[in-house]
Amino acid sequence: MSTCAVQDAGTIELYFYGELAREESIHIEEHLSRCRECRAAVDELKVIRAALAGRPDVAAPPGVDWSAFMERLDRAVRTEPGEAVLVPFQPPSTVARRPYIGLLATAALLAVVAASVFFASQASRRHTSPEAAVQPPQLASQAIDAGSLIQAGLASVGARHLERSKLVVLGLAAKEQARGGPSDFAYERELATSLLNDTRLYRMAAEQRGLTSLAGVMRDLELVLLQTSMAQSTDASALPQIQRLIRKRGLVEKMDVVGTTGLVP
Amino acid sequence: MSPDSDLISQAAAGDQSAFHTLVERHRTMVYRVAYQFAGNHHDAEDIAQEVFIKVYRSLDRFRHDAQLTSWIYRIVMNACIDHRRRHSPAGAAPFGEEAEYKMLNTPEEAPGPEERAYAGELGEVLEAEIQRLPPGQRVVFIMRHHQGLKLAEIATALGLAEGTVKRQLHAAVHRLRQALTLANVTAGEGA
Repeated sequence: MSTCAVQDAGTIELYFYGELAREESIHIEEHLSRCRECRAAVDELKVIRAALAGRPDVAAPPGVDWSAFMERLDRAVRTEPGEAVLVPFQPPSTVARRPYIGLLATAALLAVVAASVFFASQASRRHTSPEAAVQPPQLASQAIDAGSLIQAGLASVGARHLERSKLVVLGLAAKEQARGGPSDFAYERELATSLLNDTRLYRMAAEQRGLTSLAGVMRDLELVLLQTSMAQSTDASALPQIQRLIRKRGLVEKMDVVGTTGLVP
Repeated sequence: MSPDSDLISQAAAGDQSAFHTLVERHRTMVYRVAYQFAGNHHDAEDIAQEVFIKVYRSLDRFRHDAQLTSWIYRIVMNACIDHRRRHSPAGAAPFGEEAEYKMLNTPEEAPGPEERAYAGELGEVLEAEIQRLPPGQRVVFIMRHHQGLKLAEIATALGLAEGTVKRQLHAAVHRLRQALTLANVTAGEGA
C-alpha cells in the first residue's frame, strides 16, 4: 500500500493506460506535479513497458511454421464433427528441422547471426505483416548463400555495432561521478537508445542458433544499454548503478574478447 | 476478402476451407495471447488448439451481431484458465466457487524476482513475474498491456464487471512494480 489515495485507488494505472477522460487526466497531471510517489509510479510503469517491449513477441510456433499446428487441428475437427477432441501435442523434432545447426562451424554461425541482424534491421524498417514480425528471422540459408561482397558488408555492420557499443560501455565505465549532483551522460544515453534494438536482435539470433557465449555477452550489453537509455538525467544514483552493473557483468572484458574474435569472422 | 461473419456461416454449414481461412486470420492473435499466458510453446500450442476446437464447436451459436474478436478473446481467456486449472495440482478436484476464486487469485509457485534478477535482464524478470501472477490478474494484464484492449472491452470479453477488471489490473501492476523494485535493488547492489 502506498501513502497516496490516488495511487491506491488504481487511478495512476488508468492514467498511464489512457483510460481516463480528458478532465480526469488533467486532474491527475496536476496531482503528479505535486506527488512524488505517484510520479515514481508512472516512471516505473514506463520502465515496465519499455522492458516488456523488448521481449520477443512470440505469435507463432517455432520457426513460424504453422503446418504441424494446422494438421493437428484438422485431425481434431475431422475426427467427429461437433465432437472435436484435442490431439495430444507432439513436440517437433528440432534436429530434423534444422540439421545444419550441428554441422556449421562457429565462424559460419557468427556470420549467420550478423546476417540475421542485418536483414532483420532492414525488415524492421519496412512494413511487415504481423506473422512475419514475430520471430527472429530465419535467414541461415540466405546468409550462407550470400557472396563475399555481402559478407564484407555484414562484417562492417557487425564491427560498427560493436565499436559503438564499446564506446558507450567504456564511456560509462570511465565517467567520473559529478560532485553533489547527477552526472551528464546524455551522449552515452542517446547512443545506447539507438543501439538497443540491434543488440536485442543480435542476442535473439545468437540464442536461436545456440551461440550461448555470444548471446550472454549480448544479453549483458542489452541490459546495460536498457538501463542507460531509461536512466533519468536528474537521478544522481543512475550512473553509479550502471557502472556497478558493468563491473558485475565484466562487460568491458567480455566485449574485448568479442572484439578480438569479432561478430563476423 | 470475405468478412468473418460470412466465413462463420460457411464454416457452420460444413465448409472446411472457410474454417481454415478463419483460423489463418486469427491464429496469430490467439497464439500470441496463449504464449504470453503460458510462457512456452508447448502449452501455447495446446491452448491455441483448444481455442479453435471450441470455435469450431460453437460456430452455429455465434451471434452475428457480436464482435468476432471479442468472442474469440473470451474463448482464449477461458481456454487459458481451463488449461491452468487442468495442470494445477488440484485440477482433478471438484471445483467450488471458493476454490475457483482461490485458483484465480493465488500466485503461481516459481522462482521470485529476487532469485531471477541476478541472472536475468529486466524484461525476463518481469516476464517471469507475469507468469507468477494469479491467472485472473494475468489475463487482465495481458489483455490491457499486451493487447491494448480498453477495460470496458476486457470486461465485455470476459463477462466481468468493469470494477473487477480494474481491481485485477491494479493488483497485477502493483506486483510487477514490486518485482521491478526488487530487481533494481538486486541488480544495482555492489559486486
